[in-house]
Amino acid sequence: MSEYVALLDGGKREETLEVRQTAPGIYEVKLRGQVHVVDVFKHDYGTLSLIVDTASYTAMLDRRDTQVRVRVKDSVYPVEILDEKKLRMRRATRRFTVEGRQTLTAPMPGRIVRVLVKAGDEVREGQGLVVVEAMKMENEMKSPKGGKVVEVLVSEGQTVEGNAKLCVVE
Amino acid sequence: MSPKKRIRKILVANRGEIAVRVMRTCREMGLATVAVYSDADRGALHVRKADEAVHLGPAPARDSYLAIEKVIDAAKKTGADAIHPGYGFLSERAELARAADAAGITFIGPPAASMDAMGVKTTARRNMNAAGVPTVPGSEGPIADEQEAKAFADAIGYPVMIKAAAGGGGKGMKKVEREADFPSLWASARRESAGAFGDDRLYLEKFLDEPRHVEVQVFADEHGNAIHLGERECSVQRRQQKVVEESPSCILDERMRARMGDVAVRAAKAVGYRGAGTVEFLVDARRDFYFLEMNTRLQVEHPVTEMLTGLDLVRMQIEVARGERLVAQEEVVRRGHAIEARIYAEDPARRFMPSPGKITYLRVPGGPGIRDDSGVYTGWVVPQFYDPLISKLVAWAPTREQAIERLIRALGEYTVHGISTNIAYLAAVLDHPAFRSGEYDTGFCARYERDLLHGPDPAFEDVALIAAAVEAFKRDNDAAEEFAARAGAAGARSAWARLGRARGLRGGGR
Repeated sequence: MSEYVALLDGGKREETLEVRQTAPGIYEVKLRGQVHVVDVFKHDYGTLSLIVDTASYTAMLDRRDTQVRVRVKDSVYPVEILDEKKLRMRRATRRFTVEGRQTLTAPMPGRIVRVLVKAGDEVREGQGLVVVEAMKMENEMKSPKGGKVVEVLVSEGQTVEGNAKLCVVE
Repeated sequence: MSPKKRIRKILVANRGEIAVRVMRTCREMGLATVAVYSDADRGALHVRKADEAVHLGPAPARDSYLAIEKVIDAAKKTGADAIHPGYGFLSERAELARAADAAGITFIGPPAASMDAMGVKTTARRNMNAAGVPTVPGSEGPIADEQEAKAFADAIGYPVMIKAAAGGGGKGMKKVEREADFPSLWASARRESAGAFGDDRLYLEKFLDEPRHVEVQVFADEHGNAIHLGERECSVQRRQQKVVEESPSCILDERMRARMGDVAVRAAKAVGYRGAGTVEFLVDARRDFYFLEMNTRLQVEHPVTEMLTGLDLVRMQIEVARGERLVAQEEVVRRGHAIEARIYAEDPARRFMPSPGKITYLRVPGGPGIRDDSGVYTGWVVPQFYDPLISKLVAWAPTREQAIERLIRALGEYTVHGISTNIAYLAAVLDHPAFRSGEYDTGFCARYERDLLHGPDPAFEDVALIAAAVEAFKRDNDAAEEFAARAGAAGARSAWARLGRARGLRGGGR
């Protein structure tokens, strides 16, 4: 038997699941106090066919870094699955909150077309800080909070990778 | 009738799905194809689909797909006798048509003079006014100076649209709601326009309050024949970019269709048009229509018309370029209903932010009445440099209701992993009561934003969690089993090795 914790809504919700294999391809999964008998057949990449009790479902699992995006019917559920070891590690390293210092990062690889602020500027929430161009469209990156720009890490014309740090607001 | 011009090898001066789509028709017609590609596109699908491929240059479009000389050189080098420009990039640049002419290469598109007359949107407006075609109020010509532009905007009243004179596809187009936003949007439009078209001239137009966007597909040959293939309704737009297109439009009856068709054909004839073109109109609440612009090229959404008429527009373009005659207007038959959904590499939940990256898994839908025009494959890395369109999914059915259900069904089968796409958003658009009723306009996406971006259906959350947990369990246990199996195999191998060595020592190996 293995126990997993599923993090939903970006970590705001947790559900615990117990998984036990009873025969080849047959699993008992306990979720929200209920035990489901699940017949699982693994198809090609990331595709699971599930017969849960008697209902037949296809789940498509798209793994992105730590997250897996599970598509069932026409809905996509972003989930992070942690085993006991990962859960302990995560609890130990969770130290950042949404308050305080915020680092703005590039949501995708692209080119910096404009830097609208400099270190020391007072900014309000939602104010444009940096304009990133990717795929021929310009996107204005806005401040996540009101405060003061403490650091600008990019300059105009520079090419950046996805997740590159752009500037820091405090 | 024997064609006047021989076309045996076509260079496709484009990339992505449209390059693949043009090459498909070429293959059917027994024509050889030449692809061109940038540094970012060596692995792109269109390179594989072509008989020959020529490298153009660095990834930024201005150094590759927008470099006219490089494209002409590639055609000369490979002995291509025609160039198909696709849409976007150089498709509406008269300089390419002229350069091709000068090099003795057939440009599959209108004459350069027609492109001049329509390509610069402001000149087009003047020409259309002269031809008696109604236009949206706006500036007479491009405005160079920001102060002057702002004064004009202040005078006609907000909201106003800033548009690229060379524009199309929403690039360099900005809606200005308030006076205060004018300077930054003007600067942004100018940069986008320069980057996308190599031309930063801008003009202004009065923003019509939530009109419908209806366009008419026209075709003309060099023998003086001009026909229309009916309309496409393109009112589902976000960030001024079309998302869903359908035909017929719910607001057109046969009389209005015939009237708009006539005006569109008149517009094409007024500029001595040849080949495929699209005349775009804005239709207001009173069903008055205004000329918006003419796109002097094949349109992204041309498959909608192809599904409805059974015609191959790329084949017709090539035939017209060879000097052949068009089919007669009476022979064009439209049947049923067709809807196209544009699948973009983008994240609707993050304000449609493009989502370049590697496609780790791709499975495309099939079944009755479905067409998928895609330019990608599993393993392809969608580059950050170009338009995020990865595919166009089109459904045809006898009625609009059935076409909607069919397209929703097919979107449900469409699987793209590794990057974000707007597939779920598209299904929500089609399923929305306002879309289903046909009572929608260009304000649709903004008005129903919240409905269209709904989260996952809670009904299947448990199934998703069970799937994720079982998968994690399988992975953990399979890994352990595989390790055990491999350790066993290693043991077996060493036993054989021991035996081999023992035999070797004995000599002869028998």
